[in-house]
Formats: sequence, C-alpha cells, structure tokens
Amino acid sequence: MEGRSVRARAVFAVVSSMAAGWGIPAATAGPTNPNISIIGQPFARITDDAADPDRERLQFDPGEVELVFDDYLNPYAKAFFTLAIGTEGLELEEGYFDLVRGLPFGLALRGGQYRVGLGKQNPAHPHAYPFAERFRVLAAYLPGEEAYVETGVSLSKLMALPRDRSLTLTVDGLQGDSFRIEREPSASPDDPLADPAGLGDHGIETRLAVNGRAALFSEVGELSAVELGATVAYGTENVAADARSTVIGLDAKAKLWRTPEAYFLLQGETLWLDRPEVTWETGASYATSPVDAFGGYVYCDYNWARRYNAGVGFERFADPAPGAGRSNGFRAFTGLALFEETTVFRLDWERFDPPGSDPVNTTTLRAIFALGPHKAHTF
Amino acid sequence: MLADDRKCTGSGRRGSAIGAGALLALAVSALALALPAAARVRVVASTTDLGSIASTVGGEAVEVIAIAKPGADVHRVEVLPSSMVRVGKAQIYLKVGLGLDAWADQIIDGSRNARLIIVDCSEGVDVLEKPTGRVDASHGDVHPSGNPHYWLDPHHGGIVARRVAEALARVAPEQAAAFQSRAEAFAAACDSARARARARMEKLPSRTLVTYHASWVYFGSTLGLEIAGTVEPVPGIPPTGRHLDELVRLIRARRVPVLFQEPYFSSDAGEFLTRQTGIRVVKASPSADDVRPESYLEHFEFLVGALLGSQPRS
Repeated sequence: MEGRSVRARAVFAVVSSMAAGWGIPAATAGPTNPNISIIGQPFARITDDAADPDRERLQFDPGEVELVFDDYLNPYAKAFFTLAIGTEGLELEEGYFDLVRGLPFGLALRGGQYRVGLGKQNPAHPHAYPFAERFRVLAAYLPGEEAYVETGVSLSKLMALPRDRSLTLTVDGLQGDSFRIEREPSASPDDPLADPAGLGDHGIETRLAVNGRAALFSEVGELSAVELGATVAYGTENVAADARSTVIGLDAKAKLWRTPEAYFLLQGETLWLDRPEVTWETGASYATSPVDAFGGYVYCDYNWARRYNAGVGFERFADPAPGAGRSNGFRAFTGLALFEETTVFRLDWERFDPPGSDPVNTTTLRAIFALGPHKAHTF
Repeated sequence: MLADDRKCTGSGRRGSAIGAGALLALAVSALALALPAAARVRVVASTTDLGSIASTVGGEAVEVIAIAKPGADVHRVEVLPSSMVRVGKAQIYLKVGLGLDAWADQIIDGSRNARLIIVDCSEGVDVLEKPTGRVDASHGDVHPSGNPHYWLDPHHGGIVARRVAEALARVAPEQAAAFQSRAEAFAAACDSARARARARMEKLPSRTLVTYHASWVYFGSTLGLEIAGTVEPVPGIPPTGRHLDELVRLIRARRVPVLFQEPYFSSDAGEFLTRQTGIRVVKASPSADDVRPESYLEHFEFLVGALLGSQPRS
C-alpha cells in the first residue's frame, strides 16, 4: 500500500513536470498543445468504523489525482482524456471524442470510454461534488466499482420545447463490462469456476449493454432552473447464466437563486435495481435468486458569497442481496473555495447506519486543488 | 429560414403560364410582405451590451437575445440546455472574446449548430492591460489577452457595431447597406456620447475613482479618469484586511470620492471603506439592462450620471 502511494506520487511528479514543460496556461494551448488540467484531491479522515484497522485515528491519503487533456480535434469534434493516478497507479478513466456539429438532425455523437449519463451524479467528476464523498447508494446500485464508466458510443438529441424548455434524449450502446459480477465459487466439483482450464462463467465474453436517458430542463424565473431525468440501464451480469441486470433511475435537480451571489441547490435520485444473484447448484445448473432493491439520496446545498457552501444530505437504500436490510446515511457538509475551483476545501461529517451493525461516524476533510484552465459549470 | 424564403421566390419565377406566373408572383409578393417578422435574422449575444448593439444595427431585421442575464457576472455564466437551444436556432453568435465568455464555446458546441456565424467582437478594439510578462494564477484571474470589459468605452461600441453589420450582411446581403448605415450612425452617436461625457467630466473636482473589480478600466480611460485602486488585491480575489487598510490610506491621501462596484460582489468591503473614509459607493452593473437598441447608450449615460451624482458638493 505504501509502495503504491509512493509510486503514485512519483508518477504525479513526472506528469506534473511534463505538464509544466508543455505549458499549463490556456493561452499556450493550440493546434499542438491541448488544454491540460491537473487536479489533486488529498484528504484526511477519522472514523469509528469497527471494520477499519485505523479507526479513531487520523488518516491521511493522497487521494486520486486527475489529469485532464482536452481540446478541439477539428471544427467538428473535440477530444477529452482523463487519467487517474491513485493507489492502483496510472489508469485511463475517460478517453473519448465528441462530434459536436455536422451530424444530421442536430445529433451529437460520443465515442470512447466515458462516465455514463445515469442520473446526475455519476457523470460528474468527484471534484465537482459539493461534498467530499459521493453517496453510497451509487456504489451499491450502479454498474462498476468506482463509477459507471464504460466503452461505447452515445447518440444524443437536444430538442426545444415550448416556453424555453428543452428535452435531451440520449442512447448509449456499451461494451457492458461494468455489469459483470464475479460469482462466488460453490463447493460443487462440477462448478465451471472450479475448472481452471474451462471457460468458467464465460467472464471474458462481452455482451452489449444499453443505457437510455431523457432529461427535461426548464428555466424558472430569471435565473433559476429545474431538471428532471429518467434513465434505464440494462446489461448482462453473468454470460453463462444469462443473468441480466436493470437499473432504473429518476433524478431531479433544482437551482434556485436568491440573489446574484447566493443559491440553493436541491438534488435527489431514486434508483431501482433488478440484479439477480447467481449461484451454481450441484447438478450442473445455474440458479438465480431475484434481488429487487430500491434506494436513493437527496441533498440540499446553500452557496453564498461566491466561495462558501453548506448543506445536508440523506440516503436510504436496501442492500442488493437476498434478505438484506436497509442502510441509512445522514451527512452534513460545508466548503470553502479560495478562488473558484483552484483551491477548495470540503468538510463532511457522515453518520452511516448499515443493517445489523453499529452506526459509523466518519469525518472527512478534502482539499481539491486544480492547475490549469477550468471550464464553466453545466447545469 | 432565409434560404427557404429565397427558394420560394425562385420557384415563382419558374411558372410556365403567364397567368399562373402572375398569380404566383402576387402570392409570393404577399408572402414576402408577411415574412419579415418570421424571417428575421436570429442573433444571440453573450451580453446585453452586444445584444443592444445588434438590435440597433439590425433594426427590424433582427431578433436578439442575450445569454448572460442583466446584472449577472459575465465571468461566471452557467451552461444551460435552454441556452444551447436558443443558440441552436440562431444564425449569428456575438462573443465578447478576450477570455471573458469562454463559457460561450460550451454553449455553442452544445447547440450543434453547424451554420452558426461566430463573431468575436473584441477584434479591432484597443485592448488595455495586455500582460507583457509571464501570466500565472498568482496574478489572480488575469486575462492573458488583455482586459475584456472594452464595451464600457462607447468608441468600442462603434467598432463592435461595424463588426455586427458585416456579420448581418453575410446572412441578409440584401440589407447590407442598411446595416452598414445604421452601424455608422451608431458609431457616430457613441463618439458623440463619449465627447459629451468627457466634457461633463471637466467639471469634476476629483477625477479619480476606486473600483471593486477591474471592470471599469475602459470606462475610466475613455473619460480621462484615473482608477487609483481596486478593492480586489488582484482580479477575482476578495480583499484582505491588510489590503483594505492600504486602500483606506490611499483613498484618504488621494481624496478619492467614488467607489464603483458591481452588484454581485459582497457589500462588506464597500461599507467598511465608506465608514473609514466617507467614500461613496456606486453599485452598478457593467452591462446594459436589456437588448433594446437604446440600452447600450442609456447604460453609458446612466453610469456617467451616477458618477457625477456621487461627487461631494463643493
């Protein structure tokens, strides 16, 4: 673990010096040099989680460093690369192109590896959250480990509706790797996972996954706005058992400006998960147990004086396992931005109450610092 | 939309029978009379100021909207799907440029409008405060290409008007002369407004002012005023106690009568300076109230009036 951390720091140092050599300021970007941003997210944490060997001791962590490269490829397309440096080393988090104009019917096309548009929080990078950690229900329900990131293509259409409203429809065709769940091997000798020379559960095969989203946006008054979204994701969790998962999400976001320098942000998502649990039964057959789980989160964040924010959030979800109970989480958070995204501090306190064990209190202080140009926020 | 209109006219000329042709020509003429409202050139501007200039130059031939709301901080505009929809229907987009409205690129890309004519209105203006050395974030939110608030000098309003006329002429070439004529008249009105304002400034007992942000550099420069200091120690960074102390000493020493401040900044520093020095705070947006043709020069006159009205009586 320590070795990985040192390696991550070393990689960060090398890439930072490379970026410095290329010239970070936006003014130097051009046909040969893309925009380059480097975002550090170290944090300090203290928790009373009985399962944490460092419980009730202050822990420091370098967090994940994000390297973002983006620019126009030509008049019709842009490219984005986000590399993440963490304890696992350097890995590609996102790498995709956007065809932003020139397609018929006002369509836009995205291709490559990207954070899939399921709800409002998954497509956003963690440094853009108003709190230090994302809600746990997302990790529990969405495909993938850290986030729902897939390789594929996305087609989207922005449609004008009456009274300055708009509807965005998006359809993704995806590789489907995020949906795969590795089954626990059984004790049965005829379990395909027990044969080292066999294909197992055909885990290396791919099955196409799809994601569809509709988002309705409406301005409210002069400055405020509301967006309502619905998403369906469908993929294969176990090829050999032909077990498939579905996630259906509903989300809402409202940004209500009180003055030109202060606003309330209200955001919530509900998720319904249908992800059968696959087991191997003696007698050469797969068995599936239905797992229907429902949960969601909601938070309210007040921003004022262009640099402060404070809010509270709540989540409640059924653990996606047969017979499991419900988890509840409450959090309070606050933040200070010295100057926009260049240096931000986020402090969270969370009380998480899992089924069947004691509640866990965790306090996290995260510093987010960003070198290079940063973009305007999209609603 | 204009291309479709021209197609209608062309098809009328292809009529074979004289009677039918005459009837068709009559119908097309009637349609042409009814069209102007529907066939107006759609212009989207980043700010109300550019929008107002476009309304002046385009007259009845244009339909103009602005993305940044009146009184909002143009540096920080959220990218909204509704803005993309509006730009998607437009033929011309007017950018402030010089890095001020970089958010406009995201809106333009999101609009998926391949036929959009994008006009950087900063081209041709006399840019102030162009950094000469290395620029980095320790200098605050410095724009590497120079101070972008050029529209607050009415002379630049005239330069922008000519750029807008050229862009409108590309979309509606049959009205190019009218656009050009209105742009020249507007440029003359701008220069005249500036000359009148400068003459009024001659009577001021003090020609210095302090501003909150570096938004008012062109306004001060065009009126022959000196900006003695800014409340922000460097652009975009809120004041520290030490900086305010220095500012108090400067205001007292130079007897600066007025502080110009944008409405979206905190009032605390201005109130402190008023208590300490008696300086009068003028809260004014750097942008016009709306995109009406009159708004741009009305706003300039308002700012001049506010400056004169805030002077201490001698």
